[in-house]
This record gives sequence, C-alpha cells and structure tokens, in this order.
Amino acid sequence: MTSESAATADAMNSVGEACTDMKREYDQCFNRWFAEKFLKGDCSGDPCTDLFKRYQQCVQKAIKEKEIPIEGLEFMGHGKEKPESSS
Amino acid sequence: MRVWSSEHVFGHPWDTVIKAAMRKYPNPMNPSVVGVDVLERSVDSRGRLHSHRLLSTEWGLPGLVRAILGTSRTLTYIREHSIVDPVGKKMELCSTNITLTNWVSVSERLVYTPHPEDPGRTVLTQEAVITVKGISLGSYLESLMANTISSNAKKE
Repeated sequence: MTSESAATADAMNSVGEACTDMKREYDQCFNRWFAEKFLKGDCSGDPCTDLFKRYQQCVQKAIKEKEIPIEGLEFMGHGKEKPESSS
Repeated sequence: MRVWSSEHVFGHPWDTVIKAAMRKYPNPMNPSVVGVDVLERSVDSRGRLHSHRLLSTEWGLPGLVRAILGTSRTLTYIREHSIVDPVGKKMELCSTNITLTNWVSVSERLVYTPHPEDPGRTVLTQEAVITVKGISLGSYLESLMANTISSNAKKE
C-alpha cells in the first residue's frame, strides 16, 4: 500500500509471454479508472475497452496453446477439445 | 477436508485497501504467484465490478511430489472471481485451483468491508477449504497447505 508497491504492481507477468506488455498497458489504464472513477461513483464509460480487447485476444490464444482448462467464460467458444495439431 | 478462516483489520479506509488489493501481485510475501491475467471484466446492473482473473502460481513442488501427482507441470493455475461494490463498500473474492483438480481442491473466499466501528479501518475475513483426494497422505498434505496459506495471509 506504499508508493513503492504502485510501481512494482505493474511488473507482473502474463500467462502468455507475448501478452505482458499489453497486460501492463491495460493494467495501468484500469488501475487509474478504478481509483479515480469507479470507486468514486463515476459510471461514465470505461476508457480501457480497446486496450482490453487486444490484451484479451492475446491471452485467449495463450490459454489455448497452453491448454489451460478455463470453462464458462463468454469468449471461450470452444469446448474441451484439444487442437489437432499445434500451430 | 480442512477449513481455515481468519479475520484481519487493516489500519486504512476501505477505498485505500481495495485499490491495493486489486494490485496485490507481485507480492514479495507470496512469490508463488508469478502471473496474473484478467480474463473478463464487466459492470453489472447493480453497478458492481466483476473481474475474472487467472493466476499462475509456482509452488516449487519437489520433484518427488510432482512424480507422485503425475504432472510435469511446475505451474498451477487458479481462477479468481471478484466483485467490487463501490456503493455498499464490499469486495468479495472467490478463487479455486483449476489444475491438479484430481488431487487437490483449494477454494478461498475473501471479503473486505469497512470496520463497523471505524470507517478509517477495514476488515478482511478470509476462509479456505482444502480437500486432498484419494491418497493416504491426505491429512498431512492438507495441513501442510493450510499452514502455507495461513502463513501467507499473515505476511500480506
């Protein structure tokens, strides 16, 4: 909860190595919106939507490649079937 | 099955604690969490923020334990669902492992609310249910995991 932790909080990695930069950019946007808007009751639009879409697409790909068993989420259109061949 | 619960009071108001909780990782007191991703995020009709996150954890399981569990993975994955109600000032997190589920189930629930007598403080109630399945070392491993969760909670 100190200012040091604010700097290191953005240093976390993504499950997909290629997604880490996108993740950190999205996290910074989200953390700002969360603290300055959402918690203060400001319901005006989420400015991070585009950043999140790009980041989410990358994570979705990484989850499929690593065969991490995520179920029940909207974007996970496939079932439990494994890919025939790896790309 | 083992149930563990605790309550902790932070000397900070709820908003401050929640902002920090959302940015909890990396946490040098819990280095086993090595990756965090947001899978889904939305605001519901009641104005509450829902987040679904994937946590990658490295338990550093000894080779023998991994051989017994029959896994070559060193990473285990946890799925977390959190709900933040900025009006009611309540944040709830539920998490459960989604790998190694044939062997162990660890479910945690955390609830952050303002202290009922002092708005400058925040109460965290935390509970975990651990079940180790199908092996005779069950009770021993359960208590080992409960002790790990307990000591991690104290460090946070």
